[in-house]
Amino acid sequence: MTSGETPVTLTVNHKTYRLFINSSALLLNVLRDQLNLMGTKYGCGIGECGACSVLIDGELTLACMTLAGTAVGHEITTVEEVGESPVGRVITEKFLNHAAVQCGFCTPGMLVAASSLLQERAIPSEQEIREHLRGNLCRCTGYAALVKAIQDAARELHPDSERRPHAG
Amino acid sequence: MMPEVGRKLPRKDGVAKITGREPYSHDIYLPHMLYAAVYRSPLAHARIQHVDTSGAEALGAVCLTPFDVPDFIYNERIVSIPTKTYKDRRVLPTIARHVGEAIVGVAAETEELAVRALQQIRIDFEPLPAVLSTAEALRSESPKLYDRIWLGDRPIDMANNIAVERHITEGDPDDGFRGADFIVERRYTTPRKYHGQMETKAAVCQPLPNGGINVWATVQSIHNVRQVLGQIYDIPLSKINVMKLALGGSFGSSIQMNSIIPICVGMALKTGRPVKLVSPREDDFYDHAHYQTEMVLTVGVKNDGTFSAAKMDVVADIGAHHIQADALLGVMAGWLASLYKWHNFQFDGKAVYTNKVPTCALQGFGNHMVNFAVEQHLDIIAEMLGRDPVDLRLQNYIGEGDIFWGQGPSIKSVIQSCGVEEILREGSVRIGWNRREKPVDKQGRYRRGLGVARGFHTSGTGGPKPGDVIDYSSATIKVNEDGTVDILTPVVDHGGGTGEAIVKIVADILHVPYHMVELSDVDTRTTGYDVATHATRGVYCGGGAAAHVAEKVHRQILETGARILQVPTDDVTLAHNEDYGTGTHVFTKSNPDRQLTLAEIAKTAQINSWGTIAATGSYRQQSAPPCFMGHFVEVEVDTETGEVRIVRAVLLSDAGTVVNPDLLEGQLMGSFARGVGFALQEHSETLPSGALAHGGWLTDYRMSTSCDVPPSDALEVYYAHTYEPTGPFGAKGVAEASLSSVWSAVANAIYNAVGVRMYDLPITPEALLEALNAPHVLNV
Repeated sequence: MTSGETPVTLTVNHKTYRLFINSSALLLNVLRDQLNLMGTKYGCGIGECGACSVLIDGELTLACMTLAGTAVGHEITTVEEVGESPVGRVITEKFLNHAAVQCGFCTPGMLVAASSLLQERAIPSEQEIREHLRGNLCRCTGYAALVKAIQDAARELHPDSERRPHAG
Repeated sequence: MMPEVGRKLPRKDGVAKITGREPYSHDIYLPHMLYAAVYRSPLAHARIQHVDTSGAEALGAVCLTPFDVPDFIYNERIVSIPTKTYKDRRVLPTIARHVGEAIVGVAAETEELAVRALQQIRIDFEPLPAVLSTAEALRSESPKLYDRIWLGDRPIDMANNIAVERHITEGDPDDGFRGADFIVERRYTTPRKYHGQMETKAAVCQPLPNGGINVWATVQSIHNVRQVLGQIYDIPLSKINVMKLALGGSFGSSIQMNSIIPICVGMALKTGRPVKLVSPREDDFYDHAHYQTEMVLTVGVKNDGTFSAAKMDVVADIGAHHIQADALLGVMAGWLASLYKWHNFQFDGKAVYTNKVPTCALQGFGNHMVNFAVEQHLDIIAEMLGRDPVDLRLQNYIGEGDIFWGQGPSIKSVIQSCGVEEILREGSVRIGWNRREKPVDKQGRYRRGLGVARGFHTSGTGGPKPGDVIDYSSATIKVNEDGTVDILTPVVDHGGGTGEAIVKIVADILHVPYHMVELSDVDTRTTGYDVATHATRGVYCGGGAAAHVAEKVHRQILETGARILQVPTDDVTLAHNEDYGTGTHVFTKSNPDRQLTLAEIAKTAQINSWGTIAATGSYRQQSAPPCFMGHFVEVEVDTETGEVRIVRAVLLSDAGTVVNPDLLEGQLMGSFARGVGFALQEHSETLPSGALAHGGWLTDYRMSTSCDVPPSDALEVYYAHTYEPTGPFGAKGVAEASLSSVWSAVANAIYNAVGVRMYDLPITPEALLEALNAPHVLNV
């Protein structure tokens, strides 16, 4: 502990960590530098690209825009945990089978974003998927394979559901 | 065994990448590591008189200044042969030549401390006048960026800001123009644009007790980075190891050793500790861009639709460093020469230094710029002749049996596979070309138009004779004692699936299933040389080298099998049959019941101490074949706002045998999304101060989001049925080709919608609206 650092307790992927952090420390850097959770990526640092997507109490959140201190008392979930969840496993398989991953740098953020969408909405429309992914930039794929993979994952997770008409 | 080449199979690194477990250069953390940050010039042109690092050092930081680095001038790109390599750069310069040029490196215990220390750096600058456009740079009274640069080991004293000129002629252009029935001349411009790879440049360097270094960095070529570092820091190559990691996209932006790598190395050597340097996105924007070009194209046309001559004048704004401008001008001439039968042609190119962000390749290296001019020109000529644009292309394209300039005038091949005709005919059917109307027939606020453009790119830079560009690749392949196979390839995969393609090629040669062949983690110590993953050469050249080595391994398997079976080698065959163990087996032709599985052969060889079945080697492809491409696009123009919407598009490629069909589709889709962004919105504009208009913020450099690209059912892909006889299993490249004609097709479609020809990119709503509102344009 150096001057300016304070002890905090963070709950990440159901584990509790006691850490010393600076009041200006970003969640992104704490996850990567202190907890060795490399799946949360740095792409822009200004909340524009979505590579650092995580869930806080289940809500899709950008770790580069979140002070680590504000996450105290909340449940932080990173891609490492999402990838092991039932929904995450299905999306991972679909990303793989639809060749939705090329360079892969944006893909963990895409997995977190897609999983949060499928938790909220069983069978989203293509337009809903595109709007949900709007904050996650991908320079390689042109998004088509990602969208198809998420549609396929939704169908597999909810085989009996009919897509409800999209409002608007 | 069903061939693995051509099957849809999950990529080897897929699960690791998706779930965040694949390490990129950002993800390397070493014990006792320092974090670094870079002080960058606030001025476009300034002499650095003094650097005061005391404030930073008082915070515990270690600083690397221009006065600490070797006084060594180099070019960070060594793809060209040494005598064709221009050099103007130091690790840290004593004269800053663009806003954002790195001047001081700072390393500290934490990233935050490094950034705080950075703020304490004080520099006495002597501001120098800057030149921020090629027009300004070319004026005789303008200040020069350099007094002296180097070509290989030869100094060049600079009289002006022209970095290099190239004049390339074929036939007799003057005579050709005299024989024309009419001549069409237009001026086209393409802007500076940013690669937008998702991973910003990063490097981690670990100094070693023996004076050597280990380097983990964002690279397209591990071997070239090792060699440049060896030159700069005078370290034997045997003591430098550069690791191959996943690359978070590149699009050409790491064809050279990234500028931060030698800074990171310098700080590691100075501190004696591992140092990590990750570029913030803003720094990355100031580190590289793609060339801005002005092109004047003149074509002599005969009334029968043939051409008698073409002439292109190019002025390229290369920014503050000459990374590969000499090669750029050569390939631009080559792309022009290889698109249509001009019969006579002349290319005059100038690459000009300006005090702007340095420029390097971007997916196609001059290809899409030339394409923008030529493919719009073809439509203009077709209209003047009263001809259909598709027919005029079919009449004049360069195809099978013709010469293709794969990489400028020194690298030429005879075309042996060509899908141009299939692409143009199939695209016409799929888009509904016969419903295309003239712009004058369209009315109303929203107007739709159809456009076509065709392009190509090379597959590597090989050929029977060495050219100006180095091209060969290497591989090591070994058979394990259980019949599985390891491949060691230095070829870096940008994400397009080069690695999977190499696995499939080796799998099919050895008759071993895809799931039993793996790519090893490698570095410069464990691999032979590969020039770089550039020039769309990964599958064709990297896969070609792997195929060459796999054939050697195949022979060894037969020899070992025959030895065990005690029959002559020519009496055995390697095959795959699910009935035998893991499937791969050697059987005796004269008695098919006598057979051994590959695992039995490898294990027997081990038990008998005969040695490992393995081979290594290097291989140069003897050709550089074109992969052809076509785009048919339907747009809708809102004549009140100037906004352009892509209604439909058909993306057609000629990649020879398709090795990874799903990843090829992904490349075509991704290139289309980037191409539409480049056509309609992306521009890395420089302000009069030399700063970037978007400030280096991703928010203000708009790349396509999931909502900007057309819905899935609006895009269709098609693969021409060709076979490249010189490629592994008939394959050639595709990557860069897939971008080549996107923006040309969009521009042609816009013209067909509203009758306005857009000569300057990007075609923003503002620009289109201004053109639409010019007098006598719209039919009201």
